[in-house]
Amino acid sequence: MMPAAPPRDRAALALAALLVLLAVASFATLDLQWSAFFAPEAAASTAEFLAGFAPPELAPAFLLRTLQATLETLAMSALGTLIAAGCGLALALPGAGRFGRLARVPTRIVLNVLRSIPELVWAALLLVAAGLGPLAGTLALAAHTSGVLGRLFADALENAPPQPEQALRTNGAGALAAFFYATLPLTLPQMLSYTLYRWENNIRAAAVLGVVGAGGLGQMLKYHLSLFQMPSAATAILATLLLVALVDALSFAVRRWLTR
Amino acid sequence: MSLLELRAVRKTYGGRTVLGGISHAFAAGEFAAIMGESGVGKSTLLNLIAGLDAPDSGAILFDGQDLGTLDDRAATLLRRRRMGFIFQAFHILPHLTLEQNVALPLLLNGLPLDAAAPMLEAVGLGGRGADFPRQLSGGEMQRVAIARALVHRPALVLADEPTGNLDPETAEHILTLLRSELRRNHACAVMVTHSHAAAEKADKTFVLGASGLQTG
Repeated sequence: MMPAAPPRDRAALALAALLVLLAVASFATLDLQWSAFFAPEAAASTAEFLAGFAPPELAPAFLLRTLQATLETLAMSALGTLIAAGCGLALALPGAGRFGRLARVPTRIVLNVLRSIPELVWAALLLVAAGLGPLAGTLALAAHTSGVLGRLFADALENAPPQPEQALRTNGAGALAAFFYATLPLTLPQMLSYTLYRWENNIRAAAVLGVVGAGGLGQMLKYHLSLFQMPSAATAILATLLLVALVDALSFAVRRWLTR
Repeated sequence: MSLLELRAVRKTYGGRTVLGGISHAFAAGEFAAIMGESGVGKSTLLNLIAGLDAPDSGAILFDGQDLGTLDDRAATLLRRRRMGFIFQAFHILPHLTLEQNVALPLLLNGLPLDAAAPMLEAVGLGGRGADFPRQLSGGEMQRVAIARALVHRPALVLADEPTGNLDPETAEHILTLLRSELRRNHACAVMVTHSHAAAEKADKTFVLGASGLQTG
């Protein structure tokens, strides 16, 4: 005989119904002009707008400028991630309670603050201090990513099995030697994997940061869009897509190799 | 003179007396097994002998030196230079090769690393120095652990249930190997075990109980 079906959770059903009701109410309060959105004129103007992007600008001089901007975006993301990995590891050690509980709590708060502020807000703040250009973008990426990687690294250190390090300490290894020979190598593949994943994210973020004047492909894109130079904007968008795809593939391959 | 001497060693945890005034002397080169029921304080005794914990009263003398007079750094140095450890769960570092694992005590002591390969050969793993622990069976891992515990020629080896994770046949091989390597290195060993078969391999067997350390 089949076992009896589990009783339905009335509270979960009521919550789901409430969420549906809230979603419907949200749409009802907005002035969404669905008829204008689906009107033939809207479709035609959208098609006209999109057609303006073709063909992309392929003049050699412009392609060279695009390549320079691409490299600038790549450098911003790579350097920002590298700085973040260093700062993240430095903050992860006290964040994982390696210097006592007194240091753990404030470090965790610092990490929370760093990652709670989005890259765009960091960039807006740092543009004032570092001026327009890739330096502000790099520092913005580094600040936000330090918070993210610091938290992930601290969790990895806390979750690492303690026995190998304890065994080395028992064998007479100093605290530093035990950490470097046991816990760090055990967590390093995971930390590198996190860093590469964040680098993928930072490539995309670096392109967006350019829009607020932090250099690279984003700045180029914003410039040409504001002048309605759609073919040039299309080239910048294609370059961004290509860069993201390349870094994604590279990062995926390295992460697969690290966790094989 | 004895290598290791326990003088009325007493240890309590949360008001419960775990070790109630234990006295005994272990000679250099002696292989002693300590048996006893779970919770009787066998591992606590090993921790006290290793200087990882301090007795509430009494003294532990290693080569005439009272461990209670050593600070944390001095106790760490003593363990590094004069003691070797074998654990039930092996605790071989997975990211290092077998030779690198065995060489760790040499590295920590600033000794030449070329003693690692002959030591691996002595425990029957010659030519496998470049292998990684994931390629080994439990018995082979414990061979590596024995090599690591003895490679720096310690005066005292402390073994906590060294055959606890092994089948009887492998355990027999490992203990025979441990005994011969202890002899070859003229090292004293204190082994904590639940196994009568393991204890029979030792020179002397003791039973730890409420009345202290009794000859088994």
